[in-house]
Amino acid sequence: MAAQLYKTTSGRLFHAGKIAIITVGYLRWLGVPTKVFSVGNYRRKAMGFVGKLPQNFFDFGNQEAAQSRRKLAIECLRDMIRWLEDGGQVGILDASNTTEERRREVYDILISEDIHPVFIESICDKQDIIEANIRSVKITSPDYIGWDREEAVKDYWKRINNHLGHYQTISDTSLSFVKMINVGERIIVNNVKGYLQSRIVFYLMNLHVSPRIIYFAQTGESLNEMSQKADAELNPEGIRYAHNLKNFLLTLREKEKKQRKEEGWGDEDERTLTIWTSARRRSYQTAKPFEDEGYIVKQRSSMAELNLGEADGLTVDEIKAKFPEEYEKKQQDLYHHRYPRAESYHDLAVRLESIILELEHEKNDVLIIAHETVLKCLYAYLFDQPEDEIPRNIIPKNYLIEIIPSAYGCRDTRMEIEYTVDQTVPSLTNPNCDV
Amino acid sequence: MYSKIVNFDSLVLFMVGLPARGKTYVAQKVCRYLQWLSVSTKVFNVGNYRRKLHGAHQMHSFFDPHNTEGEIARREAAFEALNDMIKWFLEEDGTVAIFDATNSTRERRIMIIDHCKKYDVQVMFVESICQDESLILQNIMDVKLSSPDYKDMDPEQAAEDFRARISHYEEVYESVNETPSEKDFTYIKLINVGSQAVINMIQGYLQSRIVYYLMNLHILPRSIFFSRHGESVYNLEGKIGGDSSLSPRGRKYSLALPELIKANLGDQPLTVWTSTLKRTIETAKHLQYPKLQWKALDELDAGVCDGMTYEEIEAKYPEDYFNRDEDKFNYRYRGGESYRDVVYRLEPVIMELERQQNILIIGHQAILRCIYAYFQKLSQDDLPYIKIPLHTVIKLTPKAYTCHEDRYKIDIDAAEAGRKGNSFELLDHIKKRANAIKV
Repeated sequence: MAAQLYKTTSGRLFHAGKIAIITVGYLRWLGVPTKVFSVGNYRRKAMGFVGKLPQNFFDFGNQEAAQSRRKLAIECLRDMIRWLEDGGQVGILDASNTTEERRREVYDILISEDIHPVFIESICDKQDIIEANIRSVKITSPDYIGWDREEAVKDYWKRINNHLGHYQTISDTSLSFVKMINVGERIIVNNVKGYLQSRIVFYLMNLHVSPRIIYFAQTGESLNEMSQKADAELNPEGIRYAHNLKNFLLTLREKEKKQRKEEGWGDEDERTLTIWTSARRRSYQTAKPFEDEGYIVKQRSSMAELNLGEADGLTVDEIKAKFPEEYEKKQQDLYHHRYPRAESYHDLAVRLESIILELEHEKNDVLIIAHETVLKCLYAYLFDQPEDEIPRNIIPKNYLIEIIPSAYGCRDTRMEIEYTVDQTVPSLTNPNCDV
Repeated sequence: MYSKIVNFDSLVLFMVGLPARGKTYVAQKVCRYLQWLSVSTKVFNVGNYRRKLHGAHQMHSFFDPHNTEGEIARREAAFEALNDMIKWFLEEDGTVAIFDATNSTRERRIMIIDHCKKYDVQVMFVESICQDESLILQNIMDVKLSSPDYKDMDPEQAAEDFRARISHYEEVYESVNETPSEKDFTYIKLINVGSQAVINMIQGYLQSRIVYYLMNLHILPRSIFFSRHGESVYNLEGKIGGDSSLSPRGRKYSLALPELIKANLGDQPLTVWTSTLKRTIETAKHLQYPKLQWKALDELDAGVCDGMTYEEIEAKYPEDYFNRDEDKFNYRYRGGESYRDVVYRLEPVIMELERQQNILIIGHQAILRCIYAYFQKLSQDDLPYIKIPLHTVIKLTPKAYTCHEDRYKIDIDAAEAGRKGNSFELLDHIKKRANAIKV
């Protein structure tokens, strides 16, 4: 069992939000049961929002408040332990734990329950990063609903400064810990062993918070829509779609760029666009019009569609006839089920891990032209959906999905791709992949 | 039409650290890992340049920082290596160079950075720090005493000289740190083989991959065993792919396997990895060890050709059949995979293998070829032809810079799907190469 303990400080302002959410998403996405236990939520539930708290609640000198905070933290920890014993694998304790003494206490409790603690400490000594984070994340927290913006910012600074004087950075090298300094500029990894833990570290290394856009589009239609294995070329309709997609996206980007300029965003959005495709013909051929205009197209074989195995090339009725039992099983568990020789969505999600990490790292804008099943998984990752929702995601054909990541998750806009290229051939029907 | 992994910008990894801290080991591992992933990578070892320019058999006084002549000579060697490296980037389109030297002073590192900036090459320092005396001693015994520097010298005298050499470096050694001149450098410090790592200003996906790889390395003694599944029904029928069960002879092999492993390992712990296909799971059936199924270990996907014999493929897809011979590593079955695709798919498996101790992989031919090539440093041209026979266990034991190999054949006949006129005998070739690597 591996439990992740979230150790946060002034830097957590940035990271608690970002990492808590995305780390959870990431781990859950790998099929590992994960849950965040936030002491802040316990405090809000027990005592109400900041506005209702006594003025000096976050003062270290306030013994009474310190006692009640400690009590809540222990209660939260106990709940996490219970959850882990009931089959959870990664619990994330989101609390301050700013003193060696408190960390030792948490550590001892967990070790006595045979749970492996890893501390993640986020330190930030750059005022401008903290300020930006308070403005974009912290004051949108439930604590500050109905507050004046500037008042909320001031109040949060006060809370930080109260902590600072008593704050002890982790120095006990017998603990497993990761220290992140200034949003990943510097990372210290101590005594971190085990598969999950080392994955988490790699993941933390790849996070960044600069603004960028991710676009999703399905592949164009091919000459053989029934069989993936046939790996057919695009049909005329697919080729037209490819051109329409290119025209639509490039026009959209121009428009958005102009808009940002008018809004006074300056020159910061000189991000280039890169196109990622799978190594299947209908995927990289859909990117061809971009390539012809000089855009970089990267092929990734790991982005191939979910492999349907022996169900490939069959209609729903044929599958029902040939694999009646498997068909029934699939309806029970769309996420884990595999037809003979096929991949499950879970297999696909695991296979896509390297793509996700690369996507996290990418600072430029990316258009992903991929198959429906692949986009469903990537979408679920970005939007932190539980795994059983993945097969039910809807990624419509002829739509461009624009995704803008931000500290507290992503938001998306779906746009129907306008037809600017002459359309004379009727579109072929698309068989449903999720039979 | 074949994808290159990523068009990375040029990058140099500069090793930093005192002698006998495992710098060359790290340099060799990273080099192999990247080459295996088709990233063009080369190690530039300054010690080799020094020996070429000034001869081996230099006594420790040569390395004394107060010995001006020695200092000039060593600087000359470093510059020659640096120039060759830049030449390699410019003329041979290199992607990652690994500069294997002590680079132990701040002055030297700043000089290097300034030099590389002129050519737009990114720089990352990889510092290896080891405070464990017994590890250092072991490194001296395992590697240093067999170096050309100490050829024909009494081992004790050699060890003493080497210690003196280390102390010369210690006199001037400065760790990469947060001083204003270095705080913005990209670096990773590895402290006591993975117990602590400090990672600073990592940029780009390739750098983070390298860092992650470095963090997973360990040097505990262990062995990695490979075996293909026992003979399957498809093997008997000469068909490729599929998900058939074991043949009676294959089942016999699965029964014989536990004894062979036990004789080799005794009571040591072991984990068995299989694919998700029946023939590997059935082969592992009688092994009493923890088991793990990997989807990533499934056999190369032959796409539309899955389940056919080679004769059928030749008849039905003659063009594909011959294209495959042209460039077997890059050939992708229609709707399926190429060896190159499989290498990328196996990357997480390699990463996990580096982290683990004793592992037995019961796998498939193409899969084991890719993994074997990683450990035995075989090129992409050789990889698709490596002989991994049925009913044979291959044992690899990592040594300082190479893997020691043993093969155990269990005497049960097996049929193989094979192609006419394609009996590449690589075993000799492999042995020759393995001998060449053992310096």
